[in-house]
Amino acid sequence: MPPKAVAKTLPRRGGLFTGVTDNLAALMIGLKYFVNPRRFSIYYPKEYPELRQGYRGFIILNKAKCISCAACARICPSAAMKMIRVPVPHPKEPEKKVTKQFPVINYQRCIFCGYCVDICPTEALYHVNYHDIVYDNLAEMFWDLETFQKEPEYKTALEGTPVRLLIHEEYGLVKIPARGVREDGE
Amino acid sequence: MSVLDVLLAIIFYPPIWQLLILGFGGALLIAIVAVWFERKAAARVQRRIGPYWASPRLGGLLHLVADMMRYMFQQVIIPRTVDYFPFLVAPIVGMAVSILPFAVVPLTANPSYWPLPPGLMEYSLLLALAISTLPPIFLIVAGWAANNPFTIVGGVREAFIILAYELIAILSLLAPAITVGSFNIVEIVQAQGFFKWFIILNPLAFLAAVIAIAMSTSAFPFEIPESEPEVVAGPFTEYSGILYALNMGGAYMRRFAFSLIASLVLLGGWYPVVPGEGVVMGYLLPSLVVVAKAALVTLAISFLRAVYGRYRLDQALDLAWRLVLPLTLLAILLALIEAYLGIVQPVKPDAAPCKYLLLIYSPRELLVLDYISGL
Repeated sequence: MPPKAVAKTLPRRGGLFTGVTDNLAALMIGLKYFVNPRRFSIYYPKEYPELRQGYRGFIILNKAKCISCAACARICPSAAMKMIRVPVPHPKEPEKKVTKQFPVINYQRCIFCGYCVDICPTEALYHVNYHDIVYDNLAEMFWDLETFQKEPEYKTALEGTPVRLLIHEEYGLVKIPARGVREDGE
Repeated sequence: MSVLDVLLAIIFYPPIWQLLILGFGGALLIAIVAVWFERKAAARVQRRIGPYWASPRLGGLLHLVADMMRYMFQQVIIPRTVDYFPFLVAPIVGMAVSILPFAVVPLTANPSYWPLPPGLMEYSLLLALAISTLPPIFLIVAGWAANNPFTIVGGVREAFIILAYELIAILSLLAPAITVGSFNIVEIVQAQGFFKWFIILNPLAFLAAVIAIAMSTSAFPFEIPESEPEVVAGPFTEYSGILYALNMGGAYMRRFAFSLIASLVLLGGWYPVVPGEGVVMGYLLPSLVVVAKAALVTLAISFLRAVYGRYRLDQALDLAWRLVLPLTLLAILLALIEAYLGIVQPVKPDAAPCKYLLLIYSPRELLVLDYISGL
């Protein structure tokens, strides 16, 4: 037996008076913010928010610490991390080659959850607090083993000034110049 | 007779001053400024910055000029499946028609500078309203000619909206004509005088007119068929380059032309300036006052983007047919009551023969001379 069709009607909220007053209230709020705006924007390349330590940005591999356990590749929820086989010298007999597994990452898939960094038993993976790096094409987002070991060049930090952001009830977004971000002691 | 007089005669020849300089040039400028204001005001209210990086000192005003240049030099892609001739012609004719109301409305009480002969001026409001109903036809033609399910559905949605707003716009703008008892815009403006503007005498008509202007030109709560931020832009999905810019700018120009009629019949026209003799007092100042009022109305309607979200089609039709149309009929009733009470007194403008019509039918030297004698 096919299900019976029932016409659903939503209850009408309020009447004509409520509609008029609601519209007027919306217009008044619009005018209020038009006269006295509270802006939450920052002028991005010229200013950028200072990121705290522990920010889950790009992930870098310290190859010397890696023990090839592949826990990072297994925990990765978006399958961004894969293990590749690389020939390395044998630890006891340097003239012999053995294959060892190392992780590489595909930043098209990475969601920056940080599970790989958390699960790594030897702390071979770590975050850097950069998150805004632009690529010319998709192929550059596959990091090979060499790229995975270098910290990326952070161009925004060279052009802009770091700020610290506070949300103020009255004035909207308040920008405070951040200090101590640079390594040179500023 | 000096060169200056000849130049003045050419510039203030009503078709040139009114249709080309104030009409086309002014509407183009208003379109750019209105788009900029719309984005900046919405950004201000919504706690953003808006257009900024092109010319930060001007608040990003040149961004729109850059956009216009980009549209101008972009490749126009015409798909193989479209109906070629209407596809190409519809946006161009649509925009040309949308500024035509400028050609029939008087911007001054001085009969030397009326764009129509006094006999036709008796029906100027009817003529302007009749012309203002033409451009939506070309929107539907554009949607049909693109020969694509999305554009045809967009055109049909546009037709629904047009059917809803047209009656409201015409009735609400005709309400002052009922009170004054004349279709002559000059008479309507002079009857309003300094204080008895129809926005005060008949606020319902003004409210209905503003809603109708917003609906007709896809201002924000009614931006239903062509929702610009989305991928499928209603009837204009297949358009690109300058043709798309014509479609988009045409809506703003139509808004400006409608605002012009509304500012004449509802906002007191050229008052507080009283037109006198001569070019400056008789034509330049009154026309600039009217255009400034129209620009204010246009910008006020553009501001709605900051406040409202987009209605669904059924909500917009519900609003138009069930709420605003009875409101318009109430405005008509109010106009009838005011006409019965005789609140405004019609003032017959002195209808001297229109000087510039002689220009058309006489040899060239004579025409300029004849026109200048009226300056």
